[in-house]
Amino acid sequence: MAVNQFNLPEHRRAERKLLITVAEWKEPTGTGTATTTVREILGRRTEDSSIEYNPDVATSTDILGINYTDVNKTQPSQTFDPYLILGGSKLGAKLNDIRRRNAIAELDQFDMYIITAYVGSTGLYEAEKHTGCTIQYTSLGGDSNVNMPITVNFSNKITNGTVDKLTDDFVFTPDVTV
Amino acid sequence: MDKNKAVIDFLNECPEIQSHPLYFNFSQAKDNNKQIVTTGNDKAINKPYIDGSVLKQFTFTIIDYKSIAYRAVVKQPGYTDENVEDMAEVQNIIDWVEEKAYNRVYPNFGSDCFIENMEVLTDNPNLNGTDTTVTPALAKYSLSIQITYVDYSKALY
Repeated sequence: MAVNQFNLPEHRRAERKLLITVAEWKEPTGTGTATTTVREILGRRTEDSSIEYNPDVATSTDILGINYTDVNKTQPSQTFDPYLILGGSKLGAKLNDIRRRNAIAELDQFDMYIITAYVGSTGLYEAEKHTGCTIQYTSLGGDSNVNMPITVNFSNKITNGTVDKLTDDFVFTPDVTV
Repeated sequence: MDKNKAVIDFLNECPEIQSHPLYFNFSQAKDNNKQIVTTGNDKAINKPYIDGSVLKQFTFTIIDYKSIAYRAVVKQPGYTDENVEDMAEVQNIIDWVEEKAYNRVYPNFGSDCFIENMEVLTDNPNLNGTDTTVTPALAKYSLSIQITYVDYSKALY
């Protein structure tokens, strides 16, 4: 399968906002077992955040002095600090509810999308879906505003695909493998 | 949304300003004339966020001209000093803005902007100088107001 090229003009840098991390989870509706899917794009009021792949690397050197490096696994994670308590934040409210109940077993219920809007075309942006991810809150407090920094631990259970738009009501279409 | 117009509309609700002429950037130095003076806002302090929104500041100054009196302040029942009273009138503008800020009542910068904070940069007015070449002689008081807002107009989502 051919590699999709960046949809950027020659030498144009990709703006940071074109790399989008989205959390998705199920919320019960009413008293029954029915649920609805809720999403939130992460990054409001965050100045700097990167996906860290945390590779587990093993390096050996043979008797000729040549190095061999194996990447055994990656454990990607992304920290959002600050993650401010903001009015209208659905994920913030969800995590705060988990925190106050200390229901830490519920922290692994998230599906995460990483949308690379600098790859693909309008209506077909490349994205990857990580199923069964964990979002952990690491502290709560701050100075003038309440901050609850979070770290997303991606599962690496990946479904590649595309999204049709860059708002949280996007439709994710998995790639078809022939 | 023109932020200058928004600020003018906002300030026109201040009783101290309503009762006197308000000018924008240019005015004659006359007793009780008030003047909004714009300030170039330094882009270096803008704070971009990863969603494409930007934290910005909008700063402007209000100048208030007041006639001055050359009388000593004396301690007599019922005595009022014009200079002290004038200063208090300018202080009223500061207090009004601070009260609005405390209640989170801000100028309308439009739906693309979310005002985070508004503050007067000094607790009391600056006395920038006097003009004794006019009659009556005038004092020039000023106060600067800084509005911190998040501009979502370039946010992608």
